[in-house]
Amino acid sequence: MPEAAPAAPPSRLRLPRFALALPAGLWLVVFFVVPIATIVWFSFGYKPGLFGTHANDVLSLERYRETFSSTFFATFRNTLWVGVAGTALCLLVGMPAAYWMAVKAPARRRGLLIALVMVPYWTNFLVRTIGWQVILAPQGWLSGLLQSLHLTSGPLDILYTRTAVLIGVVYNYLPLMILPLFVAFDRVGEPLREASKDLGATRWRTFTRVTLPLARPGIVAGTVLVFIPLMGDYVTATVLGGARGNMVGQLVASQFQTAQNWALGSAMAVVLILVIAVTVGVFAALAWLVGRPLRARHRLVLEEVP
Amino acid sequence: MSTVDERRPAGAPVRADGPPPRNRVPRPWTDRLLTVVGVLVLAFLFAPIVVVIVYSFNEGRLLIAWDHFGFGSFRALTERPAIRSAVVVSLQVAVLSSLVATLLGTMAGVALARRPGRWTWWFIGLLLLVSVTPEIVDAVSLLPWLVYLGNDAGLSVFNGGIVRLVVGHSLFSTAVVSYIVRARLVGLDESLEEASGDLYAPPGRTFRRITVPLAMPAVLAGFLLSFTLSLDNTIVSAFVQVSGTTPWPVYVLSALRSGLRPEIAAVSTVMLVLTLLALGLVAWVLRRSGDSATDIARTMGGG
Repeated sequence: MPEAAPAAPPSRLRLPRFALALPAGLWLVVFFVVPIATIVWFSFGYKPGLFGTHANDVLSLERYRETFSSTFFATFRNTLWVGVAGTALCLLVGMPAAYWMAVKAPARRRGLLIALVMVPYWTNFLVRTIGWQVILAPQGWLSGLLQSLHLTSGPLDILYTRTAVLIGVVYNYLPLMILPLFVAFDRVGEPLREASKDLGATRWRTFTRVTLPLARPGIVAGTVLVFIPLMGDYVTATVLGGARGNMVGQLVASQFQTAQNWALGSAMAVVLILVIAVTVGVFAALAWLVGRPLRARHRLVLEEVP
Repeated sequence: MSTVDERRPAGAPVRADGPPPRNRVPRPWTDRLLTVVGVLVLAFLFAPIVVVIVYSFNEGRLLIAWDHFGFGSFRALTERPAIRSAVVVSLQVAVLSSLVATLLGTMAGVALARRPGRWTWWFIGLLLLVSVTPEIVDAVSLLPWLVYLGNDAGLSVFNGGIVRLVVGHSLFSTAVVSYIVRARLVGLDESLEEASGDLYAPPGRTFRRITVPLAMPAVLAGFLLSFTLSLDNTIVSAFVQVSGTTPWPVYVLSALRSGLRPEIAAVSTVMLVLTLLALGLVAWVLRRSGDSATDIARTMGGG
């Protein structure tokens, strides 16, 4: 900023433009940025002796090598599998539901339908997951029902497996997929679809060539919104996963709570963030590459008539 | 019906002698399928909640094994001091942390909408970072930091359980409130504030009398959302809590290891009713301020 002209009267103190955002910024820096920076620093250290939690007098990448050792790496692979499969299932289930809510359901019921999706989303995460534990328990009512209908031979054997974790995460993060998809489909609007039909497109063609491309921001938002928290999930895996459905969240937590090895736990947390970032990047690149031939085929070139 | 008749374009006049059709354009099978899928998804979303509510009337000793119907488990709320104190801690922390988040977030949101500049990119980047960092990473990084502040730096406030929980819960909520307030003010023209300035109102008064009332629906929505987020917070709480101030979700998490009893479901049902009241209030406030169903969905989805 240029200096004020010397002739100007010494008026009231001029605050910088970001003055009002300063308290929030400071708060987040002190209680978010600094702590995260601290664990990045811890991750280069080691655990000194039995009772220490971390030390940083010798810096090394040893903790990262430990993180990639076979025992821990299996959990990372498992988490990535649950993350990708869970996000894909959320998209598969959420897309038709959101489309129905935004386009096919009667307009005056839309508010109610959104409320119905929102209620589970704002219900306590842990309690919802415990609800699934009750449903999936081998001695629970679903198990009894399936057995009396002779659909399964023995008690239901899903609880404390990876399948149970998958059901749990799809359930827990589905609203996060449906809400942005709903907003996106709703934005496309009736007039554009009508125009597409009037120009002779079939329903399927209208959906793939008009609705879906215009709803793309919503699809991207939903996928990212589901994938990121899903990868860091701790509660679902703890309640439904047991020993067979371990996820990285639990691994990190156990290093801080039981093993008291903050250095290793920090390295795992950093790797978790990196894995999430790399996966999002890889899928974004893949989506772009897959979409390229399609975009090239459907590109409309307007030439000027001489 | 003849084939010719079936090929009749939708909306064409029907034969005079035939019975009047109920729907002029028959709904295609895809629409019905979509309806079925939609209803099934909603049923899926409500299944565990209904189960928890039903099982809160279980008079058995264990939550999972249904014994018989009764209201006994709801008495735990008054009879078991550990449960009562957990609920009270949760409510206290929810009120305090949403106050902090609303105050910080509202100011930030106003600045983002009304004083944009090069700093905006940095700040939005920070908010994005806060909202996409996995909660478990937040939790494990906050614990050593709070321990350091409390013990090594001599700031003994940070040894208090309530203070720690309030700090932990306020981070994500601050970002959410900033988004909501910014979104609302960006959608409103600045002309009212300019008019106020033209009428010689000092900036402070313009802020108090014009900007804050304009942003009020968003501020209230942000407050109530922060409140429910805080009631819901399990992971950060589990790490930063001090024994003696255990919030409700952490109590449930520890009960998970020692065996779940129907009391857990009963208290959860009570908390669910509280959350629904808060959410109903948010929707009502937003609707009164003229938001459509879509806007409400966007706001509640966290921007």
